[in-house]
Amino acid sequence: MYRYDAIDREIVADRAAEFRGQVERRLGGDLTEDQFKPLRLMNGLYLQLHAYMLRIAIPYGSVNAAQMRRFADIARQYDKGYGHFTTRQNLQFHWIKLADTPDILDRLAEVDLHAIQTSGNCIRNVTSDPFAGATAEEVDDPRVWSEVIRQWSTLHPEFSYLPRKFKFAVTASAKDRTAAKVHDIGLALRRSRDGTLGFEVMVGGGQGRTPYLASTIREHLPVGHLLSYIQAILRVYNRHGRRDNIYKARIKILVASLGAEEFARQVEEEWAKIDAPTNDLPDTELARIRAAFTPLAFETLAPHAGAYELAKASDPALARFARNNVKAHKVAGYGIVEVSLKTIGATPGDITAEQMDVVADLAERYGLDDIRVTHEQNLVLPHVKLDDIPAVHAQLAATGLASANINLASDIIACPGLDYCALANARAIPIAQHIAERFSDADHAEKVGELKIKISGCINACGHHHVGHIGILGVDKKGEEFYQLSLGGSGAEDASLAQILGPALPANRVAEAVDQLVEAYLRERQGEERFLDTFRRLGMAPFKEAVYAPAL
Amino acid sequence: MKAITANRLLDGEVVFWREGRWVERFGEAQLFADDAAAEEAVAVGKGQPTVVVEPYAIDVTEAGAGVAPVSYRERLRALGPTNEPTHGKQAEGGAAIEALLAATGAARSTGRVDLIRRK
Repeated sequence: MYRYDAIDREIVADRAAEFRGQVERRLGGDLTEDQFKPLRLMNGLYLQLHAYMLRIAIPYGSVNAAQMRRFADIARQYDKGYGHFTTRQNLQFHWIKLADTPDILDRLAEVDLHAIQTSGNCIRNVTSDPFAGATAEEVDDPRVWSEVIRQWSTLHPEFSYLPRKFKFAVTASAKDRTAAKVHDIGLALRRSRDGTLGFEVMVGGGQGRTPYLASTIREHLPVGHLLSYIQAILRVYNRHGRRDNIYKARIKILVASLGAEEFARQVEEEWAKIDAPTNDLPDTELARIRAAFTPLAFETLAPHAGAYELAKASDPALARFARNNVKAHKVAGYGIVEVSLKTIGATPGDITAEQMDVVADLAERYGLDDIRVTHEQNLVLPHVKLDDIPAVHAQLAATGLASANINLASDIIACPGLDYCALANARAIPIAQHIAERFSDADHAEKVGELKIKISGCINACGHHHVGHIGILGVDKKGEEFYQLSLGGSGAEDASLAQILGPALPANRVAEAVDQLVEAYLRERQGEERFLDTFRRLGMAPFKEAVYAPAL
Repeated sequence: MKAITANRLLDGEVVFWREGRWVERFGEAQLFADDAAAEEAVAVGKGQPTVVVEPYAIDVTEAGAGVAPVSYRERLRALGPTNEPTHGKQAEGGAAIEALLAATGAARSTGRVDLIRRK
């Protein structure tokens, strides 16, 4: 993984020291809350319902064991012994004290971590494929380019006060594990017929109040021109984005109002004015960054892992884990192990300090010191020898992290919702828990197959409900918590926006409605169809009837 | 009936106004029958920017087992998150907590606009 150099360290240490001074001035009365709020937000510190929340950046969702252990230390010392992984591959602590925050930032800086640009109208933490460097599908390592964007965008003076927040996702595989098409800019690395690497540049995607899928404005941008080109996009946005109306300030609104073609034309025009050689990344810098991601020291192993196969044959729980949580690795004899943070009854994305320590130990002992966070709020050990998976599984099971439910109905994305968030209209966590309980029979869950349920507690859509196969949005209906269901969304390579099923349901009807939708799907599905496929074939009618007809 | 609430600057803890000071338990909050008196207390609270962040008045009502905020959001602030019953003020238990837990119905929080603005 990328290791900080002296410049990175200095930036982060300076920023932590600066924030310490700002906190002192706020506590001493030299700064008002109005003056202080933008400063704390620039350092990822929100004031929520019960306490402050600190959002820590995890660049492209990649951490090592030492960093994970530091999260555990912070969880124990400064929080209530746990943390929460988010759909931006970040980590949030929900019980932080303002007075402790400078010390926490210092402790993060010691392991090359920070909370810079996890809030505010700037370029946020870049997200990427959690299987990067491990999957055979990718045409290049997307972490290299994510790191290029991270360094370029960190404290970028021109783009620190954009009309609104700005999110990048970078993927390099045909299978999209980043939800690239619902980002302000989604970059998909492709290799052209002549072998050159380029980006498909997708702009103007996003969820929230007004969801859009991104439009492709460049099919194949040569990788060497990445920085000058995204600079042109950001300049057009910075100039014409709607600063007058927070609900219309994202780039998606600009792209939609101009039309993708006109927006692309303006970007090209702007790009032509930029002196590319002085703005694009020098080859020497690219080589420096790329060197940080050189292939790891994989062993030469037989593709058939005898011990693993034997263990699976005698242990049904391990076999189930292998079916659902272990994915193909590019190197023979290795596997990608997904660690579910969706244990039935638990809070989606939550992990205790003890569990963090176990994952860190496993990464160090069996996983080449590499851990990833997924945008679906799970963890990944990207490089585990197949023959080590039985041991990894056993140790995960001992700490309650062996749920074999990746991509199944209980693998639900849920934002913190009204239980924590000052913006929420309704709770998301208990709804997720109620639904997950309905799929606690693992055989039933596997029979249902891939089903992505995503829940947001308000229109801001942090829980990605617009791209859920079943999306659930909490609304405030005359003061009561109600839930709007929608169907047919996808954040993957076959991206689509979900359509509203019908009138919102009271909280106690939601899990039952999901059951009814699943029953309808099981009745109607043909062959290997996923829920999403059946919905796309049949449309809304049979599902609508399944949920609303019984009440008629 | 009104109570005054805010988050404490130092640690973000939910606090309530009581006779010129801030207390952590809703059960100890001062109740104002008179809206004007409540607004006066809010004004005094706003004059303490190094103690609390943006105080505001909330509607409270007699809810059978005791007094509770009218809005679900404010009851949740007075209790803690529903997914972790051992976290937040609810962990302490007791009659006042029971009264909050027993209260039903919900209304848009009078403090909601401020909460959104403040994020």
